[in-house]
Amino acid sequence: MPKYMLLLHDDRQAWGKLGPEEMQKAVGKYLAWRNKPFVVDGQRLDEQTGRLMQKKNGSVSITNGPFMESKEVLGGYYTIEAASFEDAVKLSNDHPHIDFGTIEIREVMVRPT
Amino acid sequence: MEQESSPVLLEHLFRRQAGRIVSSLAGLLGSKHLQLAEDAVQEAMLRAAQRWPFQGVPESPEGWLFRVAHNHAISALRRERSFGDKTDELIAALESNTQRVEDVDIEESLRDDELRMIFMCCHPELSQDVRVALSLKLVGGFGVGEIARIFLAEESTIAQRLVRAKRVVRERNLPLRMPDRAKVRERLDSVLDVIYLMFSGGYAAHSGEELIRRDVCLEALRLGRLVSDSSMAAPRVDALVALMALQAARLGARTDAAGDLVLLEEQDRSLWDDELIAQGFYYFERSIAGEEISVWHVQAAIAATYAKAESWETIDWRSILEHYDQLMEMTGSPVVALNRAVAVIKVHGAEAALAALAPVADHPAVHGYHLLPAVRGRVLAELGQFAEAEAAFSAALACDCTEPEKRFLRKQMELVRG
Repeated sequence: MPKYMLLLHDDRQAWGKLGPEEMQKAVGKYLAWRNKPFVVDGQRLDEQTGRLMQKKNGSVSITNGPFMESKEVLGGYYTIEAASFEDAVKLSNDHPHIDFGTIEIREVMVRPT
Repeated sequence: MEQESSPVLLEHLFRRQAGRIVSSLAGLLGSKHLQLAEDAVQEAMLRAAQRWPFQGVPESPEGWLFRVAHNHAISALRRERSFGDKTDELIAALESNTQRVEDVDIEESLRDDELRMIFMCCHPELSQDVRVALSLKLVGGFGVGEIARIFLAEESTIAQRLVRAKRVVRERNLPLRMPDRAKVRERLDSVLDVIYLMFSGGYAAHSGEELIRRDVCLEALRLGRLVSDSSMAAPRVDALVALMALQAARLGARTDAAGDLVLLEEQDRSLWDDELIAQGFYYFERSIAGEEISVWHVQAAIAATYAKAESWETIDWRSILEHYDQLMEMTGSPVVALNRAVAVIKVHGAEAALAALAPVADHPAVHGYHLLPAVRGRVLAELGQFAEAEAAFSAALACDCTEPEKRFLRKQMELVRG
């Protein structure tokens, strides 16, 4: 079965507008989604600022980033199984993250057997 | 994916914890730094919302939120050193407060923090509409959007109101401590007024949003009990709790499936909440133990008389009228006079009720208040003066009222039209 990754980009502003009760409701929705049978894996990335490695003028430069304050930072991912891209999109239709940022869906390439 | 058995989150856990942690943090930071306390709690909730779905709900979600909020406040203090020389001292205090999560007496001390916060939110320096919104936000943990929905206001209006209120808190440095002995009475009365305003805000019949309204009523009831079980206890606090519990018991029966108003006389009493009724009578008993008789006592007595009756037919209208007479003497309120008129119909007939309404009619306080023509319409209908009754209901409809109330008034109009 083909695998797809759901990359969750966070919009902190959308979260910031929520009151405590709405936050709790969001937790409930995310928890319920994680337990769906087609979800293979799901992880959250630490909120601390990461490191960006780039080669500049022949040497590797390491800088802090991206900063969590910036818009649409990658915050976590899921791997799901679906028969087709169309199915993957359909299965992800009710993902609660849509209220709190962007969901990027990508097919995971597998080594041909 | 493997199923992890996370502890189930208690209903309203975030809301409850938000109020308690803000109160506890603000108690240490002082009201000048209320914003830092609020930011820290918001950050803790955000972290929880983002992590728990992946890492599972921690063993003690309350303790987790408490710790993370404190840690956020501590790092903000380290970064900004906004307290100058006192910063280190304060960081130490926050760190030791974090340890308290393990203490057995944490509950009691958190309740005290909440109480102090309630008294601050009801400080006379703040205007009354601000007191209710601020209490809901800071102690109740309600969001700005939720508060706006309760008061049928724009979110931006509520947000601005809260910003202004918090500016007063900061600039006047309103104290987070119990009032001085000399002012206890006055300050307590202000708190009770705010709690009942909060309750009434939730109790008012508006279309939809029933759940949030119930939450507000129950929060007001919780705050009432918090005060009543504290060192601020007084018979009138018990009376207010009794009144709210007895009224809240009828919440489920007050509207039908279509969201239409159901008058007391038509309510299905099996839908009344027995637990709240029992709570109401318990606090009512407590309230009459002392000498004091307050307006809350009399209103609770009215609610208790309704609750005691097995059916609408067996209500003791004479007692109800006596209570209203007493309440009139105490308040002189035209709104009380309106409610009294309904009891007058039952005891002395509609003719007498019409006479009782006459002096109220020109009172400026009820000008434009839909209940005045609505009650008049009802009295006129009893007298068989259907055309006048219809005109009265039509006048009521022209006033400011909620959708379910409008539907109710239209129904009354059709009835008198025959």
